[in-house]
Amino acid sequence: MKEIVLAPRIIARELFFYAACVIAALAVNAYAILRFHTEWKELWTTFPITLAVALVFFVVLAVVRGIVFGCRRLLRLRMGA
Amino acid sequence: MDFERLSYSLSESTPRAGRREFLKRLAVVAGSSALLADLPWWVPLRAQPAGESPSDRVHVGLIGVGGRGSLHLAHLLRTPGVEIAALCDDYPPHLQAGLAKVPGAKGFADYRQMLDMPGLDGVLIATPLYLHARMCLDAFSAGKHVFCEKSLAYTVEECQAVADAHRASSKVFQIGHQRMFSPVFLRALELVKNGEIGQITQIRAYWHRNGNWRNPVPDPSLEHRLNWRLYRAYSCGLMTELASHHMQVANWFLGEQPISCAGYGSINYWKDGRELYDNVNVVYRYPNGVHVVYDSLISNRYYGLEIQVMGPKGTIEGETGRLYAENPPPAPGIVQLINSIEHGVFDTIPIGGPTWVPDLKKDTKGSFLVPGKIDDDGTAISIAAFANAIREGKPIPGMMEQACRSGVAVLMGQTAMEERREVAWPEGFRI
Repeated sequence: MKEIVLAPRIIARELFFYAACVIAALAVNAYAILRFHTEWKELWTTFPITLAVALVFFVVLAVVRGIVFGCRRLLRLRMGA
Repeated sequence: MDFERLSYSLSESTPRAGRREFLKRLAVVAGSSALLADLPWWVPLRAQPAGESPSDRVHVGLIGVGGRGSLHLAHLLRTPGVEIAALCDDYPPHLQAGLAKVPGAKGFADYRQMLDMPGLDGVLIATPLYLHARMCLDAFSAGKHVFCEKSLAYTVEECQAVADAHRASSKVFQIGHQRMFSPVFLRALELVKNGEIGQITQIRAYWHRNGNWRNPVPDPSLEHRLNWRLYRAYSCGLMTELASHHMQVANWFLGEQPISCAGYGSINYWKDGRELYDNVNVVYRYPNGVHVVYDSLISNRYYGLEIQVMGPKGTIEGETGRLYAENPPPAPGIVQLINSIEHGVFDTIPIGGPTWVPDLKKDTKGSFLVPGKIDDDGTAISIAAFANAIREGKPIPGMMEQACRSGVAVLMGQTAMEERREVAWPEGFRI
């Protein structure tokens, strides 16, 4: 079986993407607080929900990145051919 | 009241040492709580539990060692400072089974002989309803303290006789309405007093089972003795054996007794020779236009048992121990946002049709009345209160009032169904 090794560079990049997703989820939470007139303390009292939303964003982002990666690879193969 | 401290695991199997520890904590809570100051029957629980000295021990006898009696026996065996001196049952298999659990106890087939036993402080009566009054009266005459299972008595006249005899005796009397000692119901009462549900506008209670309510009978000649709940000469069936619990809670929470009641009952499923109804529906009228709606049946158990105390701000369900606010606080903003997106994606778009929204039951989970695990429904605490009251030699205030109010209320309901008329609270009844 092939051993998959995640280089520190890849881990750092994925963490960066997840951190970006957390910031985006926090922004959504702030928008929800403004829209539904709830309390600002929800920014930290609902932090577990924010992390879950961030995970959803991360998965969606991973799918988008996969599609982009696939398209670019396909393009490169055609140009090489 | 500090209900966190009352969160406990006090079941039939909790050993005596564990109960002593719990009762010590309870004494502190009972002594410091403003709520409990309004519940006179909790006064005995302010006393520290009994120590190990022989002078701390109370000697009790148990009359009736059948279904409920054997449960009391299990609790008595584990209640600190209680010695079971005697057991009485006129059905030998029950008596033998009881004596096997308490080898040191003296066995009797006749309760009057047991009452003559020297050194006996009090008795627990767990016999069929028709025997309650006679046994209570004889026990008071013999100078014994009395714990009587619900319901108080078979007739209103008997209820009056027991109340009068108790007043004249200055002995401890306790009725087997364990919800009076249940932390869940105490919390419910506290919420009602604090105005959490607003004024009580209705109480709805029900007790549903699915079964014939029969005990196995080894010989047909024992049918009436073992299945006394099914026959009118011994009981009032669902009203006295089940409804009395919820009527006690209703009277307690409303601080009143019913003015009158009306209802219907029938045997519509278990047509097996029984005489008492297998389904009952009774509405009680209270002052200020409040009604208690009660029903019970033994042919469907989907809804189980519940008592719902309703007001304009919320509903309390005592048996499941939950509070349902009419206008619960809104969910966090992010949850509302997610829900609105979900509704936008998945909900169907109405094109036409009725514009009204049906008043279907709200699917909310409510909030727990008491945090933590509670195994006991109040029975263990109530028996500890009885033992403490005997030790202190002081009658339990307010207890007979609760017993009479619920005892008479269920008899009113039975009469209303049998005679198909509105039945009023008996005029001149003295508690």
